[in-house]
Amino acid sequence: MNTFVVSARHEMLSTRRARTAHLLLIVFIGMVIASSVIGWVTNQTVTGVYEKVVADGLTTAPNPFTGVTPLYYARNAVIYVLLIGSLMAIVLGVQATLRDRKAATTDLVLSRPVGSATRLLGQLAGLGVVLAAVIGISFSVSWVIISVINGAPLGWADTGRVIAFGLLSWVLLSTFTLLGMLTGLRSKRETTALLVPFVIWSAIAFVLPQIGTAARPVSLLNPVPAVSSTGGYFDVVAAITGPFSVTEQFKRASSIVLQDPAVTGDATSSVLILLAFLAVMTVVVAVTPRNRMRSGLNE
Amino acid sequence: MSSTGVIARKELLDLRRDRLFAVLIGFLAVATLISVGVAAASFRSQLDAYNLYVQQLTASGGTTVPAAPQLFPLQLLRGGVEYLEILGALFAIVLGYGTVAKEKYRGTLQLLLSRPVGRFAIPGGKIVGLAAVWLVVVAALTITTTVAIMVIGNAPLQAIDLVRILIAAVIAWVYLVFWSSLAIGITALSPRLSTGLIVAIVVWLAFVLIIPQIGDTMDPDNQVPGGLFATLHIQKSDELKVLANFAGFDGIRNGVEVSSITKHFERLSFAFLGIKDKYNQQPLGLVWADMWGYAITLTAATFAAVTFAVGVTTRRNLQRKIS
Repeated sequence: MNTFVVSARHEMLSTRRARTAHLLLIVFIGMVIASSVIGWVTNQTVTGVYEKVVADGLTTAPNPFTGVTPLYYARNAVIYVLLIGSLMAIVLGVQATLRDRKAATTDLVLSRPVGSATRLLGQLAGLGVVLAAVIGISFSVSWVIISVINGAPLGWADTGRVIAFGLLSWVLLSTFTLLGMLTGLRSKRETTALLVPFVIWSAIAFVLPQIGTAARPVSLLNPVPAVSSTGGYFDVVAAITGPFSVTEQFKRASSIVLQDPAVTGDATSSVLILLAFLAVMTVVVAVTPRNRMRSGLNE
Repeated sequence: MSSTGVIARKELLDLRRDRLFAVLIGFLAVATLISVGVAAASFRSQLDAYNLYVQQLTASGGTTVPAAPQLFPLQLLRGGVEYLEILGALFAIVLGYGTVAKEKYRGTLQLLLSRPVGRFAIPGGKIVGLAAVWLVVVAALTITTTVAIMVIGNAPLQAIDLVRILIAAVIAWVYLVFWSSLAIGITALSPRLSTGLIVAIVVWLAFVLIIPQIGDTMDPDNQVPGGLFATLHIQKSDELKVLANFAGFDGIRNGVEVSSITKHFERLSFAFLGIKDKYNQQPLGLVWADMWGYAITLTAATFAAVTFAVGVTTRRNLQRKIS
């Protein structure tokens, strides 16, 4: 069995044994499943509100939810992926690389004829399988719940969209896993290794979108996009910060894939940006020098 | 000086030398300043759009000019308050964790415990030290953002505005002490340090991000960009009448929200700063009459967190396992 596969298998085994990581995995799966129910209950209430408004003669505007697809109920899952999923991926990534440094097992592993890139990419592959399994479980249960709410199994087209959303989620979470692996490799202290990617995540998820659109931090946690400020300063800055706002690109692409009526346009550019970040992060982690992998912690 | 005072002083000295702490507070300050700048730019953008509209209306012979957008300076602080509630809480957890973790990592815990320190001196000193640090940080952030409102936002402030800002600063300080104390307690209880940090972060995730997010997305008015009722052209009074028919659902939604301490902090701050329209330009007495319940729960939660930290940070728990 080659280094790549052994590293991947070892990573899966280590994650299975890491009880703290299980806490995040359970929260993630639970919230993605719950999101469909929350979406359904809210939609029922909003429909009731609209019917009451029409019955009272307060509006003649059409129901904004007419014709929404069953996938509408899954839109909250988009937020949970970028919120809980990203943080879970960071923790998994940090633990993967930090574990070897803390236990000094890297010295032993690298004393064998093992390429450092192969070792790291093997670890990434193992975590990729874990992420795929978590996404697969949560989205499968979500599919069943939406089908029950809908009164019939989702059709092939909608099922394909759920799968596409799952793939997008995997790409985003793998990118954050790589970020965690990187800080796990580069940091001198365990606290810094965990904290730096969290700060980068919060800058990407909150600060960057705010600079370009004036969206408030909390409103960015709502699947319904905030009304952006446009014109002059905002057009220029949004053009610069937009591509770096990976989480916003993920929200946009996922909302289009899930046919959210509040988001229109083509998802191609957002998908390409997500893939580009994944590729860049993979290269950055893979070129980590052997002496860095073997460096100890200052704690 | 008592041993509690000595430990508190040591915390202050340690944090003054800690580069990570400086980076975190710097990041928080920059994010807060950016939010003020962006909010001011957004208002100017609205004003430009309004002026252009009025110009075109006048040129086409129109006479019914809509009201101009009005700047309420303290509303520029909305983003800053939200950063404090999200990032401030996270950083408070990191500081709380760090204050216990460093003693174990450096091996100074054994030295500390070999001295004749009282049962409550270690947790008490650490909490007092962190509370003092947060006091300085909140004071610095308050001064910085107040200046930013006047300079970047180009908005004059009245004496009453300064009082409102001061009240919001006290609320922020209590909120940050809550999270630091909670993190101290969780870290002291955890046999492995990394477990303590991750558990504290999961608690942060649940109470700062997930629970408020659920409540927010369940709000009927948050289902359409720009607001459901605005889209349907419903007046505020009619909106309240309609929502009265859905009191059960709204009760559950509100119950979800208020189960998070973060919402108590947010509602209090938004009310006193007039960020929430209902309380904008209202006398402080009226705001207090509506909000005293939240003030009590926030204070009680912080007191409980401090008690928890002091209660579980025992010699036995701290020495349970050094990792």
